[in-house]
Amino acid sequence: MRATAREAALALLACALTLLLAWALGSKPLIDTLMRLAIFGLYAVSLNILVGYTGLVSFGHAMFFGFGAYAFGLLMQTGLTSLPAAALASLALSAALAFVVGALCIRLADIYFSFLTLAFQMLLHAVILSWVGLTGGDQGLQGGIPRPRFLGINLADPWQVFVVTMVAFFASLLAIRTILQSPFGYALRMVRDNAPRAAALGLPVQRYKLAAFVIAGLFGALAGILMALYVSGAYPNFAFWTLSGEGMFMIMLGGIGVFLGPVLGAAIFLLLNDTVTRFTEYNGMFMGVVLLVVVLGLRQGLLDVVMARIRPR
Amino acid sequence: MAHSDFGRPGRRSVLKAGLVTGATLAMPFVARGASKQPIRIGQPSILSGRIAQLGISSRNAAQMVVDAFNAAGGLDGRTIELISRDSKGKPDEAARVVRELINNDGCQIILDSEASSGAFAVQEVVRETGTLCIHADSETTSLTADPKIRAPNAFRCARQVLHDSIVGGSYAAGIAKAQGLKRWMTCSPDYVYGRDSSSEFLDYLKVFEPSVEAVGATWPKLFAPDYTENVTRILETKPQALYSALYSGDLVSFIDQGNLYGLFDQVKFFAINMADYTTLHAVKKLPAGIYSCNRYLSTFPATKSNAEWSAAYDKRYNVLPLNWAWQNALAMQFLVEAIKKTGSDDGKVLAGALRGMTVESPFGAKGTVTMRAEDQTIVDYAIGWGVTIPQAPFVEGMEAADWTVIAARETEWKKQKGWA
Amino acid sequence: MNLDAFAGCLSSASCLITQTSAGLIIGMLLFLVACGVTLIFGVLGVINFAHGAFYMLGAYLALTAYQLTDSYLAAVLCAAAGVGLFGVAFDRLFMSRVYNSNVLMQLLVCYAFVLILDDAVKMIWGAEFQSMGMPAAFALRPLHVLGGLVPPFYVFLVAVTIAIAIALGGLIERTLFGKIVRAAAVNRQMVSALGINTSLLYASVFGLGALLAGAAGALAAPVRSATPGMGVSILIESFIVTVIGGMGSIAGAFTAAVLLGLVRSFGSIGFPLFTDGLMFGLMVIVLLIRPQGLFARGSA
Repeated sequence: MRATAREAALALLACALTLLLAWALGSKPLIDTLMRLAIFGLYAVSLNILVGYTGLVSFGHAMFFGFGAYAFGLLMQTGLTSLPAAALASLALSAALAFVVGALCIRLADIYFSFLTLAFQMLLHAVILSWVGLTGGDQGLQGGIPRPRFLGINLADPWQVFVVTMVAFFASLLAIRTILQSPFGYALRMVRDNAPRAAALGLPVQRYKLAAFVIAGLFGALAGILMALYVSGAYPNFAFWTLSGEGMFMIMLGGIGVFLGPVLGAAIFLLLNDTVTRFTEYNGMFMGVVLLVVVLGLRQGLLDVVMARIRPR
Repeated sequence: MAHSDFGRPGRRSVLKAGLVTGATLAMPFVARGASKQPIRIGQPSILSGRIAQLGISSRNAAQMVVDAFNAAGGLDGRTIELISRDSKGKPDEAARVVRELINNDGCQIILDSEASSGAFAVQEVVRETGTLCIHADSETTSLTADPKIRAPNAFRCARQVLHDSIVGGSYAAGIAKAQGLKRWMTCSPDYVYGRDSSSEFLDYLKVFEPSVEAVGATWPKLFAPDYTENVTRILETKPQALYSALYSGDLVSFIDQGNLYGLFDQVKFFAINMADYTTLHAVKKLPAGIYSCNRYLSTFPATKSNAEWSAAYDKRYNVLPLNWAWQNALAMQFLVEAIKKTGSDDGKVLAGALRGMTVESPFGAKGTVTMRAEDQTIVDYAIGWGVTIPQAPFVEGMEAADWTVIAARETEWKKQKGWA
Repeated sequence: MNLDAFAGCLSSASCLITQTSAGLIIGMLLFLVACGVTLIFGVLGVINFAHGAFYMLGAYLALTAYQLTDSYLAAVLCAAAGVGLFGVAFDRLFMSRVYNSNVLMQLLVCYAFVLILDDAVKMIWGAEFQSMGMPAAFALRPLHVLGGLVPPFYVFLVAVTIAIAIALGGLIERTLFGKIVRAAAVNRQMVSALGINTSLLYASVFGLGALLAGAAGALAAPVRSATPGMGVSILIESFIVTVIGGMGSIAGAFTAAVLLGLVRSFGSIGFPLFTDGLMFGLMVIVLLIRPQGLFARGSA
């Protein structure tokens, strides 16, 4: 319990420092960058619950990012729900989706699982593209997302969106961290390292996997909701396979075995992307080479390397 | 903590990694000369992936106009610098790139060469920043027609789906009447553009020739590799005429696969996007007698200035210009003329000059194109339909559209929508 | 949904013939692109996520070879050989380093290559789409069979695909190479201990899978235009076929492909807006009833 309290204090401090820094500098590009980092960082951390801690390599995680963004945007556009209610409802819907998809996918081991998550994601992408009446098809949700005031918070103001995003980001990190440090979290690691043994010890392996899948989907959807709020819309590429690939790329860059690795990975990924895009249209070639170097050269993420140095086994 | 799977890297592989990264970073870097403060125009576009052609031809065409302006001395020695940047076809990335161009690169003007989804994202950014913006590649009608989406600082210099549908409907109605084509079917890609294009075409076809009947529709997926099921479905329905909004590689695959079944011997084919040089060249056995709208043709309008522009583009880039090229060339021309006319680089001043501006252009139906003031979109550009032939000039019998008919129908349509 | 049209088709001989043959054609093309994935997975236990990119490479190599030689046969052979060699090199230089790692590493190596190959194709062949055109030998009128239409080119493609299926099945089931390959799939150490070079074996199987992808891209080139990034839809299709058929089973992939082809050709009559959904629906049903797929050896 004491560890949790310390981590809560750390998260609070980090959140306060970030907000203070952004407020002091007041730079728009900085705020933009921090928002994107929070969104993709949360997305990558949520994916790492599956990849790093449960050993489930999902190639369809963007499905929840996209679903959360669309569900939230569509609910807000009806004008019937308040903002927090829409966010909670889309999280509930995403969890339900994750439950159904997860229940089907976790029946299969390893590579089959990757396959199937990818296939489901492409199904969702196809539905978004062709259900024009609801989703606006390839042009995305049109007309912006309305932001009625709630609890004195006005999300039409970019600064307040920033604050809410940061609070949501750090709160989510804390929540995920707490889950992963709980007995449940250690059970997931056991499932990852040796599922048959875990089963022999009486652990309901499938149920644990499904729970991890739903939790990951939930936070992935939250990242999607924040993204929808940030860009004031939702687009089909939120649910496209490339975003799933990028999620794994971020995890690999930053580190799989360290909790904050994916956040660092997201930061490096965004930095590389933004810099490379400025100089060349062969972004894919460049990113592909970087990825190869990391996978085949380092064979682990940057924070993994650092941690291995600090804590020699 | 780390997985047992992830071994330690060798020192050499790390070194190699560093070298590769360094080399790749340095390669594309080109230093920009800076003398007198240039006027910076940012161009977000799609330069990679399946529709990289869009961005490349947009950039090429705009750059030609910029070079001519700079070579002629610019604005009192101030040159224009065009900064093109890849959004990879992602709308959220397009929005980011535009913000970056404005905030970090100091662009005062945005030439938006995004496809529709990106254009709507760009529209929201410039609405917020107030930056002058010309959309040069989005053909979606609502971008400028819908007053809720329109912005005072955003213009469109591109053709429009609604204009194309009115012209296509009226042309096809004439052929339907002459040849007794009653049973019509559509085969368009299953997404917004395909759906809108098909339904609006059929609407106007029925307006101009009420006796026609829509007997079916088949919707291949965008970028589908295989159209067999769509072709056999059309053969089964036995329409007399077929309309398609397929384009580029998809249209070529559809024609190749339709040819195997002799499809085009059995139906009159109206392919609105056929008359585009890449498509015309890519189809190795172009069936004679496909009806198409002009995307861009160097022979329509059949003027000297149009042929010369096409030849100059071909000479410089070694490829024939596409629809995106004329739209971007014209958009840049509008900007340049507004800059010359006002002697200013201020977005608000330029926007004032652009509203209602008429320029002489090879792409005008009658030699000029106007930026209509009321909805800030171009009119009087050349639209026509003709029939394909298998060799150059590929399309003959071009019939130019009547802009008074387009304008009348457009006003009526806007009234129905409550947008007029 | 259009059930009248569907019922009408079922009661018309010409429609039945056209749609059934169309279904077989769609199915054979699906099998052609999917069999490489199945083969590599069956033996090496890895998924080649770069399969779609290999297919694209095959299409582009065929385009160039066809322009140079004007021979469709030469184009197909060049493309198959070229992509096969590329596959061997890819296996030796990159994939072999992650065979013993987890799925994530294998997946990321392939993903990196998808990114690199898409850009490389754009650099070499340009961003605009290209088309080979129908070789003169096949530019024939469609055959009329009992009132239905069957194009000669597709008769050829179906024949080639069936030949490939039989040859693959024979290679795996009846030859010494096949025996070793099957043994290696079960116990690599044992095969290695018997003095057989398993690295060579792996490279040759990977090369064969790549060769099949390249051949598929080349064979379909006359009717499918090529663009950078064309591999994704191919990859997804191949996955669905492989999952339904049972990963690693050639016979399963064949059956699944025909099944999917028929679902699509008849689906386009009855459910024109939902054809894709039908394919995914079929996959979900199979997974619910038989998670390992229709023909899988062993369990999933």
